[in-house]
Amino acid sequence: MNGSPLLRAVGLVKVFGSGRTAVRAVDDVDIEARAEEISLVMGPSGSGKTTLLTMLGGLLHPTEGRIEIDGTDVTALGKLDLARFRRETVGFVFQTFNLLETLTAQENVEIALNVAGVTGERAHARATEVLVAADLRDRLDFRARDLSGGEKQRVSIARALANRPRLLLADEPTANLDSHQGREVMELLRRLAKEEGCGVVTVSHDTRLLGIADHVLLLEDGRIRPESTTADVLSA
Amino acid sequence: MSVGGVAFAVLLILLVVSLYRGWSEAGGLFEELPADIWLAQAGTDDPLRTTSFLPADRLEELTALPGVRTVVPVYARRIAVRPRGSKLNVYFMALAAPSGVASTPAARRFLPRPGSIVVDSVFAREAGLRVGDTLDVLGRSLLVERVEPGGNPIFEIAFMNGEDARALLALDGYVSYYLVTLDPGADAAAVARDATAVVTGSEARTAADFANATRDLVSQGFLPVVGALVGIGFAIGGAVIALTIYTATIERARDFGVLKAIGADDGFLYRIVLQQSLGVGAAGAALGVALSSLAATLIRRDVPEFVTDLQPLDAAAVFAIALLLSAAAAFVPVRRISRIDPAMVFRA
Repeated sequence: MNGSPLLRAVGLVKVFGSGRTAVRAVDDVDIEARAEEISLVMGPSGSGKTTLLTMLGGLLHPTEGRIEIDGTDVTALGKLDLARFRRETVGFVFQTFNLLETLTAQENVEIALNVAGVTGERAHARATEVLVAADLRDRLDFRARDLSGGEKQRVSIARALANRPRLLLADEPTANLDSHQGREVMELLRRLAKEEGCGVVTVSHDTRLLGIADHVLLLEDGRIRPESTTADVLSA
Repeated sequence: MSVGGVAFAVLLILLVVSLYRGWSEAGGLFEELPADIWLAQAGTDDPLRTTSFLPADRLEELTALPGVRTVVPVYARRIAVRPRGSKLNVYFMALAAPSGVASTPAARRFLPRPGSIVVDSVFAREAGLRVGDTLDVLGRSLLVERVEPGGNPIFEIAFMNGEDARALLALDGYVSYYLVTLDPGADAAAVARDATAVVTGSEARTAADFANATRDLVSQGFLPVVGALVGIGFAIGGAVIALTIYTATIERARDFGVLKAIGADDGFLYRIVLQQSLGVGAAGAALGVALSSLAATLIRRDVPEFVTDLQPLDAAAVFAIALLLSAAAAFVPVRRISRIDPAMVFRA
């Protein structure tokens, strides 16, 4: 454990719809994450993993509950403050990479820096630094559309870490990768999280991620299964 | 795709503008003829719609006036011809030019050899004439000696030789106009006063008077239609540019969602849209200007009756307008961008 939690979410509820058609996608979830540690939330499709991650990232307002990240009550922030919070505190890694396909690897990372107000040579140098750290030294000028799936996900991780976020949120980071690329991405995530000193919350139903996780939570029907164990996850 | 849309809009606008310019400059022929003063029968405001008769025996007196350099009698008459069976009313002119005038390159354009005519490309196309063909004029077969570029489908003009005109136009004892050129530094008003005194019942006009009269004819009849087309061209072109930019923005909604997810605020996204709109606008406008130039060249060569005049200043103005429209179009999708839900990026 690394001191007090970087992320603390308490009593999170997300209800979609209303009345008879209301669906409790996330139901009374508590979760914590610490710097330099990887928390893995596993569960079958439709269990509420992505909804949980979306709320943790400040992209979806919870129906109930409170999310505190690095001392900030995310649920109390307005639209502009949420945008600033996301660019300064959180990094995202997506299942489908979500790179800007017509831009190069370097430009994809630089634009994330530009969003945070880092421009010009500083942005260029930092983008190069994180891409080199992600083993993409010889892919800097490749357009995203010309990269392999594994390379795209490494660019995505580099982009997520470019602004030195406190928390990195990864949604099924290995789902679209073969086993070799998936293993590479997992190792990269582990290594860079340590190097950059950020906490990681990743949701997945890829059991290969169990090997790199410091904590595992099993989500079923929107609820955290109490006292989840690796065996529970493997049998789920 | 976006660049192509803007290029198409610019092409559309520039072609209509060049059509407007082409028609606006109708009558320019009168300004090309070698004359500082047109001596015409009084009341001849518009040479294409009125007739002028002046006594033919005043040439020597006019030539002898102080300040006069040359005097060229002009025969002119509208004559119906039937090339290939279709009827055309052609305004035939003939400059009975003395040898000194005939030696100038400008004058030679309008001075065919005996038995020949010079026609413009619009008339040539309408009449199906090429150099070497013949045209039957009042029972005489005249050879097409040269086809000059330009012309106008509303009033076809052709030039015949002075000797032929005397014989064919049956203006015995009369000419239509005297074209007077002045000595350097001569007082035009004084020459005009003296000339009209020599030729009773005449009045002095300028080439600009006649050119403007022809332009008035066009501007009263045809130009308003072309002007409306210019307006429509700008409206459609502007709509195409706005739609192109809007569509391009909407197509990249997911990219904007990604940028929002990683913390971009609306201002950052608007700046991107504006930069991209200007980039697309500049590239599209440059392509559109190039295509318009090519199209105008091809049109002049293959469809001369579609009178176009693509001027560099018009191209520059339309380029600038395309940039302004592109910048304005960037604001069209503003609401759409602000409503993009960044959570969409989590959906596969």
